[in-house]
Amino acid sequence: MHYDFKLAWESMPALLAGTATTFTVLLPVLVLGLLVALPVALARLDSGPKSVAAAGYIAFFRGVPSLVLLYLVYSGLPQLSIVRDTFLWTFFSNAYVCAWVGLTLTHSGYMAEIIRGGLAAVPSGTIEAAAALGLSPRQVLFRLRLPMAARYVLKAYQNELLIMVKSTSAVSAITLVDLTAAANTVFDYTYDPFTPLVTAAAIYWCIINVMRIGFTLADQKLNRHLVRN
Amino acid sequence: MPLMGFVQQIGTGALVTIQVAVLAYLLALLIGTLFALATLKRRLVVNIAWQTYASIFTGVPSLLVAFLFYYAGSGIISSVLSLAGLNVTIDISPFMAAVAALGMVYGAYLADLIRSAIQNVPPGQFEATKVLLIPRPAAWVLVILPQVLRLALPGMTNMWIVVLKDTALISLIGLKEIMAYAKLASGVTKEPFIYYLLASAFFLGMTALTYFVSQRIEQWTRRGYRPVAVKGPAHAL
Repeated sequence: MHYDFKLAWESMPALLAGTATTFTVLLPVLVLGLLVALPVALARLDSGPKSVAAAGYIAFFRGVPSLVLLYLVYSGLPQLSIVRDTFLWTFFSNAYVCAWVGLTLTHSGYMAEIIRGGLAAVPSGTIEAAAALGLSPRQVLFRLRLPMAARYVLKAYQNELLIMVKSTSAVSAITLVDLTAAANTVFDYTYDPFTPLVTAAAIYWCIINVMRIGFTLADQKLNRHLVRN
Repeated sequence: MPLMGFVQQIGTGALVTIQVAVLAYLLALLIGTLFALATLKRRLVVNIAWQTYASIFTGVPSLLVAFLFYYAGSGIISSVLSLAGLNVTIDISPFMAAVAALGMVYGAYLADLIRSAIQNVPPGQFEATKVLLIPRPAAWVLVILPQVLRLALPGMTNMWIVVLKDTALISLIGLKEIMAYAKLASGVTKEPFIYYLLASAFFLGMTALTYFVSQRIEQWTRRGYRPVAVKGPAHAL
């Protein structure tokens, strides 16, 4: 078993195309996940039935593996006539849309819990001071609570983001050729499992570590007022 | 009744899922504990080995690690053994590949968790065992370990759920567990929704069971533990 540099070089275009697919899946999920998670987190902080519903949402989508959600969206939804026979089918017949929806559900469940924790950590005195100064609740949320919460949750967001990058390898189950699937395709053609899989692992490793460095820099910038030991 | 037949198969698959998850978690605990103990003191060689291991296994998706072990594992093992002059071929089953991949990946995460738990045991506890002349093995097992368990348990519970959910993903290497049977059943009956919901129910049930059991264990580890400073009312009244 040896690493074949020539094969690695030749399979690079296929692997980079897979990397592009990985990012095409990942980036919309990150944006959509945040957009969905914010109202869920706010509802969770409220009291009453809204909070219970949000808790159910978080518990369900955090408890179910992302692969199950991907299968549910990809092969389960078309079973419903409301999806199959209306305009929705133009969306859900596309594997990318299914991947976006499935992974967004998982991601938003985790993000809602992270955002809730961050918002709850904002000192109540700060919020009371802002209200006393005459800021509207909307201003307090967007100018104060969210920016402060963003600093508190940076570490948790880093963990979640790195988990999402690795979770995208599940989309090969619904026919998308991401980096993992591309490496397997090279293996199918060449009967050499070692070289393409190790190369793909190296690409993942680079992506993850570039993100880690980015988060370290963001942490240094955003939390520079904190005393470090 | 075909439906009941598939429910039975999904039950069989669920058992395989639990077996893989439990074995992988035990392997991860073993790897994590060994690395945690080895990296407690600053030793250059051990630390370089640990950093490399952690960097690789936390920077690569577990699915890719499982693919690598499944397809290339027997080649890797025989080329390592041929260095020692042995000529053996070992067939790797999807089960073995899944357990090894999940165990090695989550061992890296558990090592960090266990090490910081050991470091958070008050130093006085270590000193007290020395003063009382408790033999080192007994001190670790009877004094330190129960306290480590109390500190590490919440993180370990989360990690168990992550391992359990990742087992579903690993089915893509050809493991006959709950997801594989759910897929088979939905292909044959054309009723994917119901079977995947059944699989979701299994995972939700396992999560609920985990929280129930972990609450019990947490209470058990907390017996005899009282915070030193009791928080009373801050005002004089």
